[in-house]
Amino acid sequence: MLRVEDLSKTYVRNDVHALDRINLTVKDGQFVSIIGASGCGKSTLLKIMAGLIPPSSGRVLLDGTPVLGPRPDIGMMFQQATLLPWRTALENVLLPIEIRDGAKAAHARSDLAVELLGLVGLAGFEKAYPGELSGGMAQRVAICRMLIIEPSVLLLDEPFGALDELTRERMNEELQRICTERQATAFMVTHSIAEAVFLGDALFVMSARPGRIVEVVPIDIPRPREFSVTTEPHFGEIVQHVRSRLDLGEQL
Amino acid sequence: MSTRATETDPSAPDDAPVYEERVSLLDRVPRVVWLVGLGLAGLGVWQGIVALELTSRILLPGPAETFEEVISTAGNIITGGHVAEALWLTTQEVVWGFLAASALGFALGVVVGETKFGQVAVMPYLVAFNALPKVAFAPVFVAWLGFGINSKVVMATFIAFFPVIVDTAAGLASADKDTVMLFRSMGASRWQTLRKLKLPGALPFIFAGLKTASVFAVVGAVVGEYLGGGGGLGELVRLSSQQLRIDRVFALIFYLSVVGLALFAIVGWIERRIVFWHRADPSDVVSA
Repeated sequence: MLRVEDLSKTYVRNDVHALDRINLTVKDGQFVSIIGASGCGKSTLLKIMAGLIPPSSGRVLLDGTPVLGPRPDIGMMFQQATLLPWRTALENVLLPIEIRDGAKAAHARSDLAVELLGLVGLAGFEKAYPGELSGGMAQRVAICRMLIIEPSVLLLDEPFGALDELTRERMNEELQRICTERQATAFMVTHSIAEAVFLGDALFVMSARPGRIVEVVPIDIPRPREFSVTTEPHFGEIVQHVRSRLDLGEQL
Repeated sequence: MSTRATETDPSAPDDAPVYEERVSLLDRVPRVVWLVGLGLAGLGVWQGIVALELTSRILLPGPAETFEEVISTAGNIITGGHVAEALWLTTQEVVWGFLAASALGFALGVVVGETKFGQVAVMPYLVAFNALPKVAFAPVFVAWLGFGINSKVVMATFIAFFPVIVDTAAGLASADKDTVMLFRSMGASRWQTLRKLKLPGALPFIFAGLKTASVFAVVGAVVGEYLGGGGGLGELVRLSSQQLRIDRVFALIFYLSVVGLALFAIVGWIERRIVFWHRADPSDVVSA
C-alpha cells in the first residue's frame, strides 16, 4: 500500500508553493490516475513519491516504511521510453538488475527478461536496438524494464504522452492487461482524461498553485475494459464530470 | 518530359496540363560529377590566373608544376629521402600531440562536465585560456623543452586539447533528463550513471572533439616546427619558402594535409565502429 500523508512542497529557490497538504492512498492492486492542468504539481508529487526529491513537510509511506530516497521496490516510467540506444532491447530490460546487482546477476535473469518481452508482444526483438523499434515498441520495452525488478508500486509519468492516438489506445489496453495479470499497484500522471478514466480504479483531480486534490472520482466500470468502452454513455458521464471539476480547479 | 499522367489516365486529353515532378539538376547528375566538376573548375581558375600571367610564376606556380613537384616529392618519400624523414618526424609529433590532447581533453572534460567544482572553478580558466593566442607560446616551449620533438608535441597538444574538453563536457551534459532521473530511481551510483549513461551518450560529441583535435594537432606541430626549428615538414616549408620554391611549399602542404586527413579518417573509422547507434555528422564525407 502506498500512502501520502499531509504532503506539502515549496520550492525555496523561487518560493513556488507546488503542493499543498496532499493526502492519498493507493491500495494494493489498485490503479490510480491523477489528472490536472499543467503546472499543478503532479510531476513534483510523482518525484516525491519516487524518492527523487524530498518533500517540505509530510511523508510518503510504501508498505509501511517511509520513502526517504530512491527505492528498488519502485518502478518508474516516463513519457519518453528513455532506452539506452547502445543497448539491445534485452539489455535495456536488464538494466535495473545490472545497476542493482551487477552484470552477472543481470545475465542470470535473461530468461525472465525474454519472458517479459514475450508478454508485451516483443518476442523475437530481444536483440533489436531502440533505433529499430517504433515508439510503441520502445514503450513496451520500458514497461518490461520497469517490471523486471518486480516493484511493489509502478509510478507512471504520462507514460504514453508521446505516442500517436492509435498506438496510445493499444498501449492502454496492454497496460491494463499487464496490471490486472500482475495485480500491480500503480499511480499514473496523465493529461488525457480518457486515458485516466480508462485505466483507473480511481481518479484524483488536482488544482494548480498550490497543487491540491480537489476531488476523488471512483471509476466503477467493470474490468477488463476494452477501448470500445470509451464510447459508452457511462464513460462519457465520468469524463464529463472530471472535465467540469478540472475547469472549476482552473477558476480557483 | 514525363508523360506518366496521360498514360495512367487515358481519358485525359493529350494537351491537358500535367503536374510534372521536378527533379532538381543536382539530383539528376551523379554526385561524383559535381564533386569532380567543382574541383576541376577550381584548378581551371588557378591555371587561368597563371596563364594570363596575373602574377609572377615564382610567386604562384601553376597546377602542372605543383603536380610535378608533388610527384617528385612522392619519389623522395618512397625512396626514404629527406622528405620521408621530415614526414615521419612530423607524423610522430602529430600523433603524440593528438593522443596527449585526447587524454588531457577527455580528463578535463569529465572534470568540467561532471563536477560542480569543474564548472565553477576550472571552466572559467579554460575559457580564458582558450582566448589566448596559443601560437605565441611556441617559443616558450622551445625555450623550455629544446629544439627536439618534445616542444612540438607539447605545442600540438596545447593547440588541440581545448575542443576535446568542450565537446566532452557538452556530451556529458547532453544526457536526457528523464533518463538521468530513471537512473536515480534505480538507485544508480554517480559512477554507474557516468559509465552506463553519460559517457556512452557523450561519445558522438567526444568523437567530434577528437576530429577537430586531429586537425588542430597538425597545425600545432607545424607551428612548432616553424618557430622551433629542428626538422619536420614545417621546417622544410619554411626553408622552401625562403628559397621562393612555392611549388615545393605547395607539395609539402599537400603531404601535411595527407597526415591530417589520415588521422581524421582513422578517428572517423573508429567512431563508426564504436558509435554504431548514432548518425555520422555532415563532415564525415567518407561514409556519405
